[in-house]
Amino acid sequence: MQNQKKKVIKLFYAIIGTLIGVVVGLLLPITYSPTYALYVSVAILACLDSVFGGVRANLEDKFDVKIFISGFFGNAILAAFLAYIGDRLGVPLYYAAIFTFGGRLFENFATIRRLLLFRTKQKQ
Amino acid sequence: MNRKGNVNLILLFFSILLGFMLVVQMKQHVESYNLVTLKSIQVKKNEISNSEKEIEELKLLIKEKQEELKKLEEFNEKGEDIQELIIEELNKNKVIAGFTAMEGPGIVIKMRDNQNIEIVGAEAKDDVIHDSDILEILNDLRVAGAEAISINGQRIMPMSEIKCGGPIIRVNGKSLGSPFVIKAIGNPKQLYAAINAPGTYGYTLKNVYKISIESNVEDKIHIPAYSEYFSFYYAKPKKEGD
Repeated sequence: MQNQKKKVIKLFYAIIGTLIGVVVGLLLPITYSPTYALYVSVAILACLDSVFGGVRANLEDKFDVKIFISGFFGNAILAAFLAYIGDRLGVPLYYAAIFTFGGRLFENFATIRRLLLFRTKQKQ
Repeated sequence: MNRKGNVNLILLFFSILLGFMLVVQMKQHVESYNLVTLKSIQVKKNEISNSEKEIEELKLLIKEKQEELKKLEEFNEKGEDIQELIIEELNKNKVIAGFTAMEGPGIVIKMRDNQNIEIVGAEAKDDVIHDSDILEILNDLRVAGAEAISINGQRIMPMSEIKCGGPIIRVNGKSLGSPFVIKAIGNPKQLYAAINAPGTYGYTLKNVYKISIESNVEDKIHIPAYSEYFSFYYAKPKKEGD
């Protein structure tokens, strides 16, 4: 049970962090050109995937800071870059980013669920 | 334990970043998730600039109309007859349309078929004046700023035709024979140059095809008004502001 609690706390770091980010974002009056909205949204998807991956790695005790940070920024930049290149070429290349990160997002989430629930069952 | 806390803090930090980005993006109020291509941006830009141009034109129109209204109101205040103003305007419009005889400095061009003994082409048609020759000359005159033009007493209107009729040409439905006398009011020097300068069509006609072209600058040329009746069957005036 103690172990279980620790895992939930690990998860809550991500959730609370996201909430703090939301509040800060609501308070700060930051805007940018709507031209970049597409690029940013694809980048956000990549970041979301990175955070899910980080949470999962943390639960599995395999978390590596370097991999996490490089993935967070690298994936976001690559996704935005893909969207931009696709825009210039007239081919919606950002679909590649959406499918990859979207698919991995669910994969990561599934693993997180199993990690949380499976241990509980074992304990019982 | 210390390392674990570190990991959690890093996760916390990046979660904050993620939430922050999410909300900033949401605050953009992106209505559709369609791809905004550079092309569509360009198209929109063009649309906007076109609309702006239209607005500008409409503003000019409003200004014009306001001035007109002011004039009319002034007339009304003075108690003068408004008929005078209308007649004045009618005359002005008649001048513009070509329904008024005009006078002024300009050029008189006399064109005759090749009267030399020397024959230029293999066929007779190479030595006579054609409708297209007249058309070229007319256009040259217009380029030189001719304000009123007539051929053998026929006023050239915007819709006047110049048609081949064998040895003659037809203008305004009337048959005209050689010699053709083209009269044009405008800057005499420019009109003269438009016909006689080397390289112009008139120069070529004169020196290559041996068509006799005499051009004289005159101080007072009389050009008659358009004498026919003309009505529009297909073209309808577009309403202002449409």
